[in-house]
Order: sequence, then structure tokens, then C-alpha cells
Amino acid sequence: MSSQKVEFVERPGSVVRKCPGTKHHICCGYQTIDLVEGCVLSCSYCILKAYLRDDTVRISYKPESIVAELDGMIDGACDHVLRFGTGELSDSLAIDRRYNVNRFLVDYFGAKRKAILELKSKWADFRHLIPHLNPYTVISFSVSPQRFIDAEETRTSPVYKRLKAARLAQEGGLFVGLHFDPVVIYDGFERDYRYLIADIGRILDPARILWISLGTLRFPPALYGLLLERKRRYLLAGEFIRGEDGKYRYIKTERIRIYRMLYRLLTDIDPSLFIYLCMERADVWKEALGIDVKDSEGLTGLFDERIKNMYGGTL
Amino acid sequence: MTDVPLSRINLKDRRFSLSYPPGDEDLRWSITAVGIVQPVILLDRTPYVPVIGWRRLRCARELRMRSVPALIVDTDEKTALMRAIHDNMARGFNIIEKAAAVDAMDRFGFSRDEVFELMGHLDLNPHEKVLSSLRKVASLDDPSRDFIFRKRLSLRNVESLLRFDDRERKKILGALTGLHLTDSTLREVLEMLELIRIRKGTLTGRDIPLMEDSDRLRSHLKQKTHPILSSLAKKLRAIRGAMALPPGVDIRVDPFFEKEYIDIILKIGSEDDVDAALGRISELVAAGHVRRILELTKGRIR
Repeated sequence: MSSQKVEFVERPGSVVRKCPGTKHHICCGYQTIDLVEGCVLSCSYCILKAYLRDDTVRISYKPESIVAELDGMIDGACDHVLRFGTGELSDSLAIDRRYNVNRFLVDYFGAKRKAILELKSKWADFRHLIPHLNPYTVISFSVSPQRFIDAEETRTSPVYKRLKAARLAQEGGLFVGLHFDPVVIYDGFERDYRYLIADIGRILDPARILWISLGTLRFPPALYGLLLERKRRYLLAGEFIRGEDGKYRYIKTERIRIYRMLYRLLTDIDPSLFIYLCMERADVWKEALGIDVKDSEGLTGLFDERIKNMYGGTL
Repeated sequence: MTDVPLSRINLKDRRFSLSYPPGDEDLRWSITAVGIVQPVILLDRTPYVPVIGWRRLRCARELRMRSVPALIVDTDEKTALMRAIHDNMARGFNIIEKAAAVDAMDRFGFSRDEVFELMGHLDLNPHEKVLSSLRKVASLDDPSRDFIFRKRLSLRNVESLLRFDDRERKKILGALTGLHLTDSTLREVLEMLELIRIRKGTLTGRDIPLMEDSDRLRSHLKQKTHPILSSLAKKLRAIRGAMALPPGVDIRVDPFFEKEYIDIILKIGSEDDVDAALGRISELVAAGHVRRILELTKGRIR
């Protein structure tokens, strides 16, 4: 898959963090467990390229202290259900078969039964985890049209394999998540997304999709220079502005147009799907989805309600 | 020190030449007045090879001097180059000279550590990518080097310029040479040109026409790279024109139309001013102008 160096490191301090979110945008209140820093999939638009000092993948494996920390957080969160993920600074599954770093978390969340672990990936192989999986682990895949994957996510699994893997997870009794993130504007992207969502409707059971996120391409200024330097035609086709958080993102009217299109296509499959926007402004939520989300707390409340409905109040 | 006839010096051998630009009017005036005060340094070969004093030698040739005061050194090439570099370091190098120095070190077989050490002393990031850019600068044609020197381009803008091929760079220099450009304006212009080139696959003369000033050029490029933003800005200008805001009342809109709200600024000197301003604002609201601006900021209009 890759010749990148992978090393185990002793990192002082906590690896469990609140997702940093971004200023003036609504955040879903996700918690990250940064077991792995760096990624072997090396997608061309990955913000890790701008943040990390080299391409070494560093694994910080200290199960006892992580479990102790998770216990404290989960037991202390009486008013809502915490959601954790290992896919913030890496891909959750890309090296997991070899290094088996998620297994203790899967076991922990299964035993705890009070919070959710999301394994978010572009790598469609989680067979090594199948004997251990339980409903408190959500297998999630980022999805994009294959044309885009061929151009910008060259080391990842093809989208049909990701969808087949998601189907496998559903058949094993799990909920799955889908992340349309990043959604990228390029010539003909609307048609490609129509086909992709049609495939999702055919392959997956919408009743076992716990959540779907939509997020258009955004990146810090440092990455913009890299994209220009590397002549990323797909990634630079849309019209970017600098958002209030300083990041590059598509101009608002385009974001609204994209979200509306995807939301309509997805709700045509099943109107009860839970679809949320990742790192978006309240006014975009309102204009694109017609949903009045005032702040990050409001979105966390929507997640709580969704989880309560899907898990039958067992969390 | 000895006087060496110019005919015994190989003025075409530029292996140790670092100075840029080669000509220097002040030096020429000084040599005309008092002659060459500081001797040049020559490598003891047949004919002699200039190590230090290129500009002096150039002036001497232009002034048809028959000989120049010189110190003859017999040393290896690497030592001669280091002498040339260190002799010039005290006066400070411009970006073209820095490029010439590190390029020469690289060509003469100095180790990476030695090259990087010099780069550190020249306020350059000792990194392979920077070295590669500087080596490209050293091999650029004269018009490109002259543009970089005269416009005092930052390394970032130099790297951006280097990403264009020779044909494209020629067009860019043609359009930009006569314009007054700050480093940040140039960065913006080059970024927009790169964007156009990446999207179209090529950069033609139409993409970078000759303009009277940099603002016009920037606006022309913006319309190509940001058609929606340009269209929104044009619509906003039309609305503002129709509003005919009185003195003391201003409406501010996020330039990227990202913030959904607008700021209405009042400059007030008395209660009557407040009444007048609020009255005018009410009229603007009633006429639908404020709603039309909010439709732009809420992303409802493209």
C-alpha cells in the first residue's frame, strides 16, 4: 500500500480531545481519539500535509490511560451521548489490520454501552474486527465519485468496495455512517454524485445508516499553495473565498447549491435519513437544508435525538 | 599587488561571477575619477581567471583601461569560489546573487551540508526545495532575472513565477514589467494566473492582457478566477448606486459575501442627524434595497 514509515511513539498528555471545530461554524461536538497521527493513504487534499512535519505515521498506543480518560468523560456526560472517532488525524482502518490499534476501543465501547465509537475510513477492509464488533461501533466511509477517487485519492479503496464493506457492516448488525466529505466541484460533478447516491440507495439499507455528513472542500491557506504547486485541477476547479475562520472554502452560494442537491438526492432515497453539515455556518444550514440550527449545542441535540431513536433509548 | 594587462585576463570566464546586475554606474564614475582603488583578485591560470572584482573589470573594459591592479592567487576552484562568496557577503546579496552563489557551490561539488550552511547565512531556508528553486533562478534568462531583481520578488513569488514555462513567463513579464506591484499584489496576480492555467491547461495572451495599472489587471483576473464573486460585487455596486446613501450613512458588506449580516454605519453629530439617518434607512428598507443586499449575503443570488 505504501512505503511510509510507521513508528510507535510515547506521547505525553492526552490523545482524547474535543474536535477543534472552526470559528463561526457549527461543530457536531465530536470527540477525537488521536491514536494515530499521519496517514498512509495520502490523499492529495489532505490537510495533514499542511499540519504534520513529515509523512511518518506515528502510533501512540496507551490503552490503559485512554480507557481511564474515556471512562471519566463518558460517565461525566449525563446530558448527551458522546461520539468518539479515531479518524481525525489519520484513517481509522488503513493500517489497523496490521497494527490492530482500534480493537481495545471496540471492546471498551461494547462493554461500556453508553457512547459511540466511529471508525471513519476510505479503506474498505475491517474483516479483522468483525468477530469483535458490537452495535456501539459505527463503521463509516467517506464517499466520493470514483472519477474523483481515481484522481485525488489514489491509494484508497474504490468506492464500490467501500459501499460493499458498509453493506457487510450493516449485515453484521451495525449501523454505518457515510461522509460526503470533501464534496468537490469539478466539471460534471453533479452527474457523478447522482450516480453515486443512486448506488448507495441500491447497495445499502437506509434504515441502518446512522448519519450522513456533507462537507464541501475546505483547507488552510498553507495547503492552497501546495495545490497550486501540484496543479490539482479537480481540486481547484471551484471558486474559493477565505471564510471567517481563515480557511479556503467554496463561495457560499455554491455551497448552498451543492448541499441542496445532495440533500434532495439523499432524502429521495429515504426522507428519514439523518443528514448534517460538517463545519458550516448557521445561515447555510437554514438556506440549504431548511433546518434552524443556532449553534453547536443545537447540532449536538439533534445527534442525541437521532441516537436515541436509532438505539431505542438504550444508551 | 601587480598591474595586469586586461588582454591577459579571460573576461569570458564567468565561473566565479556572482554580482548582479553586472553594470554599476556609480562604480564607473568613481573609477573614471580616481581609478581602481581596490585591486581585483585573479586566479593564476593562463589567461588569468577573475575571482573577485567583476564589476571593476567590466568598467575597466568599458573605459578602455589597458591594465588593472590585481592580486594573483594560486588556489583550487573551490577555495576561489568561497573567497568570491565571502568577499561579497559583507555588502549583502540580492536574490539573484544568492542563487548564483548556491548554484556555483552545488556545481563545484560542495557537500549538501556546506551548501545548506551558506544558505543559512544568506537568510535562506536550508531546504532541498529552496535550493532547487535557486538553481532554477540561476539558469533563468536575463529578462526573467532582471524582473526578479527590479521588482524585488520574495522567494515565494519567485517560486510561483518558476512554475510557469518559458513561453508563459515571457507573457507574464511582458504584462507586469511596466506595472507598480507590491509583493502581495504580485502574489495575488501570480496565484490567479496559476489558477487560470491549471483550469484551462494553458495560459494565453488573452488571459494576461496589457493593462494600465495593477488594480485593473487584478480585477480582470478576478473576473476569470472568481466569476460568481465578481458578479455579486457588481450587483452590490448597482444596489449601492441606486441607494444614493447620504453622507454619514454607510453599509458594509463582507467582501466575500460569507457573513450573512451587513453593518449599517451611522456618523452622528446631533439628534437631528439620528432622525434623518433613520428616516433615510427606513426609506431604503421600504424600497427593498436592504432586502436585495441581504439576498446577496445569504447566498440566494448568484
